[in-house]
Amino acid sequence: MRRRDFVKAIVAVPVTAIPIFGQNATPPTAEKTSEPQSTSTAAAPPTPETAPKPVAEPQSFGFQSPAIPSTIPDVIATTEQHYFHDEHMATLRKLGDILLPPMNGYPGSTQASAPEFIDFLISVSPVERQKMYRSGLDRLNSEAHQQFGIPFAQVNAQQADTLLRPWLRTWMVDHPPTEPFARFINVAHEDIRTATMNSQLWSIAATSAGERAPGIGWYWSPIDPDVQMYV
Amino acid sequence: MPEENVDVLIVGSGHSGGMVAKILTEKGISCVMLNAGPIVDYQKDRELKPAHELPYRGFKMPGRLPHVFQANEFNANTWVDEKEVPYTFNQDQPYNWVRVRLFGGRSLFWARQSFRLSNYEFKAKDHDGFGTNWPIDLSDLAPYYSRVEGIFRVSGHPDGLPQYPDGNFVVDDSPWSGSMQRFIAAGKKMNVPVCKPRSAMGRDGLASSINLLLPDAFATGKLTAVPNVVVREITVDKNTGLANGANFVDRHSRREMSVKAKVVVLAAGCLESTRLLLNSKLANSSGVLGHYLIDNIYGPGVVCSVPEARDGKATADLMGGGALIPRFRNINTKAPNFIRGYALNVWSSDRPMDSRNFAAYGVELQKKLDSYYGSGFSMSMMGEVLSRYENHVSIDKNVVDAWEIPVLHVDAKYSDNEFNMSRDAVDTGVAMAEAAGFEVLSKNYEPNPPGYSIHELGTSRMGDDPKTSVLNKWNQSHDIKNLYVVDASSFVSGGWQNPTMTILSLSMRASEHLAEQMRQGNV
Repeated sequence: MRRRDFVKAIVAVPVTAIPIFGQNATPPTAEKTSEPQSTSTAAAPPTPETAPKPVAEPQSFGFQSPAIPSTIPDVIATTEQHYFHDEHMATLRKLGDILLPPMNGYPGSTQASAPEFIDFLISVSPVERQKMYRSGLDRLNSEAHQQFGIPFAQVNAQQADTLLRPWLRTWMVDHPPTEPFARFINVAHEDIRTATMNSQLWSIAATSAGERAPGIGWYWSPIDPDVQMYV
Repeated sequence: MPEENVDVLIVGSGHSGGMVAKILTEKGISCVMLNAGPIVDYQKDRELKPAHELPYRGFKMPGRLPHVFQANEFNANTWVDEKEVPYTFNQDQPYNWVRVRLFGGRSLFWARQSFRLSNYEFKAKDHDGFGTNWPIDLSDLAPYYSRVEGIFRVSGHPDGLPQYPDGNFVVDDSPWSGSMQRFIAAGKKMNVPVCKPRSAMGRDGLASSINLLLPDAFATGKLTAVPNVVVREITVDKNTGLANGANFVDRHSRREMSVKAKVVVLAAGCLESTRLLLNSKLANSSGVLGHYLIDNIYGPGVVCSVPEARDGKATADLMGGGALIPRFRNINTKAPNFIRGYALNVWSSDRPMDSRNFAAYGVELQKKLDSYYGSGFSMSMMGEVLSRYENHVSIDKNVVDAWEIPVLHVDAKYSDNEFNMSRDAVDTGVAMAEAAGFEVLSKNYEPNPPGYSIHELGTSRMGDDPKTSVLNKWNQSHDIKNLYVVDASSFVSGGWQNPTMTILSLSMRASEHLAEQMRQGNV
């Protein structure tokens, strides 16, 4: 039986974007220098009884951090609407419902709270991306009013298809359509898919279906970060 | 007490610096290696995580690393932060300067493609009249290529093509999949060669300076490595005019320090080495330091589907494997609207298709993804960028990095030659795919911004004439005989090829020359 593979069709790159990242060898580390012993700065030589003693090496008790089961906040909380106004959010939610509905036991955009996540993402994005979303959602809504006399949030599937299909494009990574509205429709589609398929609900659905959990990759922590960044 | 005078100071720990360290220490010469960033611990610094546990669900953090298209939320912490070490450019001429300052540099992460330059690159001016010839040719570098290919264990197949020189390979005699055979047949009718790719296998999962070069250097006991120090400038003896060390700053504490050395070797990466020379105001009697910035054209490509592999019919016999179409334009024929040439990377994939290849959504899109699963066949371009004086870097005196070192201003753009070449690459790919009976799903003619390839080359170019070059044919500064620059800044032209094998070979050759110069007392 060939596996249908929702899971593998995710947009997010699970491993590093740089190919062939061989990672089994342990690189050589710089030699550690021994810590200097602390010394007294008193004017008169101290008596043996009062002389400060060398700092004892901390004893290792073989301490192992206890495992603390935890979860991500999305499991117990909702994201506050922060950037888009109510009409924009309603348009975005409808767009998500149309572009990625629930299918075959997997959550759709709404169930995965993708519109709320995108609202947050766009709120912290550069101005150009914010503008693309705002003007795109405005235009989508405006076209729905013009063609069907209702906001986009209330169109049916057929009406949505009439509004969206002319703007769907094929494109390659880093080269989305350049025409502004086509760019919005196609980039928003990509963003909705990513936000949905990278959600924990999607991961749970994949595991339940016996599929490999999606989007797992090697996450690199900050490596010896510059201390000045925290001053 | 610090050493009075280091024998050889190496700035940088990537492929070129690692090779210098290996060669010199094995010849008994003591070296100190400075690196701007920390040492990576693969066990401590990374862990497997699902995207939903990351703060941005796998989206790159908005506004972070805007010019590193290769960055994502998983790997963002491995790249140089653009806010910490900025660079400037004209807004209508974006440049993607992609850097890694971890110990080992970009050698930790490179894509392993391993090619020799041919005399169509070394002596390009003789072939088409444009630009400048290298002061060396393939026969000068061939012995070093062979040794480097042996160290890096390059897999490949000898093809006997002068534009795709054969090397010291772990021979790849793997059979072609059915889809590749069809593509090869289509290429034959169009006089387009389709060859096996060439790739460095390395050892133990890495093909980096830290596992293939530096261990040999450390084993001699003659290499001292210092991470987390940012070199501010190379210093010069006012009386002799010779390089005599470097001033640097501790990355964390900002403590200013200096080291004295008899010889200085820059291996900080093409643009960082040039930046250092510009900030130090050295080695530029020619006036060309910073000029002739080159890279490779990346971005244009084609994505197809093999119809016979759809709807569950993909098999290992039909799908799978990769190929390389080496430059075939402007070898024996003349393209109408561009000079030089390009290569195409080719892949036949039994994996899922990217959803962006279908103008569809919802249930319809999912049906297409199911149907087309395992039928993907794609091509992407690697093209030569012409070496032009006006593509250059200079110091932006108005901007400094986190250690108050003046940054680079990059002034580079592609010309009609690059755009016309890109169009030809995509059209050729489409024509071959259609001749092979594949369905073309999407294509892109537009190059990625200059720099995207992470193959920045030139700006301290080598040459026989000190009036028109920064280095001689041994990567030695014309102006300062105890100063060598061994990274890709020495390139005169770029070709279509990934430059790593050439960087390593030039560095090996330069190091042996330096060692002999030191033995003779000339340096």
